[in-house]
Amino acid sequence: MIRRALIVLAVALFGFMFAGLSVHHVERQSLPPLGKRYVELVPQERGAPNVITGILLTYRAFDTLGELAVLFMVAAGVGMVLGGREGDHANRLSDATPPPRQASEIVGTGAQILVPLIAIFAVYIIANGHLSAGGGFQGGAVVASSAVLLLLANPKQRFDQQMLASTEAMAGVLFVLVGVAGLIFANGFLDNRVLPLGQFGTFFSAGAIPLLSVLLGAKVGCELSVIIDRFRT
Amino acid sequence: MAELIASILLLAGAVFHLSAGLGVLRMPDAYTRMQAGTKASTLGNTLVLGGMAFLHPGWTLKLLLIIYFVLMTNPISSHALARAAHRIRVPMTPKTTVDALRDAGEQSRGGA
Amino acid sequence: MISTVVLVTGLTLILIGIWGMLTHRNILRIIIAFSLIGTGTHILIVAIGYVASGTAPIIDRSLSIAKAPMRAVDPVPSALVVTAIVIGLAVTAIMLAFAIRLYQAKKTLSIDAFTESRW
Repeated sequence: MIRRALIVLAVALFGFMFAGLSVHHVERQSLPPLGKRYVELVPQERGAPNVITGILLTYRAFDTLGELAVLFMVAAGVGMVLGGREGDHANRLSDATPPPRQASEIVGTGAQILVPLIAIFAVYIIANGHLSAGGGFQGGAVVASSAVLLLLANPKQRFDQQMLASTEAMAGVLFVLVGVAGLIFANGFLDNRVLPLGQFGTFFSAGAIPLLSVLLGAKVGCELSVIIDRFRT
Repeated sequence: MAELIASILLLAGAVFHLSAGLGVLRMPDAYTRMQAGTKASTLGNTLVLGGMAFLHPGWTLKLLLIIYFVLMTNPISSHALARAAHRIRVPMTPKTTVDALRDAGEQSRGGA
Repeated sequence: MISTVVLVTGLTLILIGIWGMLTHRNILRIIIAFSLIGTGTHILIVAIGYVASGTAPIIDRSLSIAKAPMRAVDPVPSALVVTAIVIGLAVTAIMLAFAIRLYQAKKTLSIDAFTESRW
């Protein structure tokens, strides 16, 4: 009873605070100074039509590198919490679950058609990161969703953990190597002018941004697939 | 003329989406809720996207691709969900008289 | 006007998530409420960056380089949210892994069964 009243009080206080925030909100009429500088600089100096991916992979590329480290830590954490001792009786989820049944034929047939389409879509999103909405993170999440579909259609499927782990590691190492090449050949760490900027708006343009997008997409996709693979009983 | 057709299709799609939401709220158990949600919302999607094709004829091929994707994925995912729910024995509403999946499972186990 | 509507939607989602996290006793529902708070925060951050009658900060046929600083929406909040979404997925995965371990330990999904950390 008292817990109920306290919950209602807490939610009411939060609601009051949020109402105060939204009443005093005034829509912006023009860009703030930082946003304006980015919108002016990224297409001209870095040659990328998509300003958001340009920011994430050039001006704030070091934060993206830290992001990759956080994702790696999470994958390692899930592996540690769920992996543990394989085949130990304490790991069986419950003794009351019915014996595993064959996956449905409809899901299997649908997966045969859909997995290639999803994979093509993921590659398209990753490769077009610098031209239109997209990029490494988004494409990596779509790659992981194709892995989920594969697991749903065939629960006994074994993912090659070794290949996934080594792909992920190689992608991370190559990312840092491109950054160091930026130190040596261009203006700074992870500067995208190591590769020629090319003509604005074509596919092979914007320097090293497509290469970084591909590496980022591969790393994120492998990591999320490994995380999902751990959840299989 | 094209705008009239597009408006009718969009309105019909919105009505189907509304009935999908109503169905998910009011149906008695999990299986009927899944059926209401999937069927009505897939049709609503198709109608809305078809209406958009009349408004922007240049987008027709892309919209047809999206309709194809929705038709492929929505029913399959709800089918997988319903089978999983049946496997962990989610209770059915007492008005159900026939359980074909359980009968088929017993038949295959008893016969084999 | 548009950004106020989106702002209120994000704040409402956060409020629903807070209520859900405090009320429910089932671990999985608490995790869903957590994910709701995350989604609401993402919507909130994107709504803050909206410029009146602006468009996406992508240079293509409809937005030229010269006009971009006048008509584009603030790109910085969108860049922050892009990585926040993937990190939210990863944190949800860790929470679900913990839920599986807790279920293996006590065979129940209600958090009332875990009283070791309570005073």
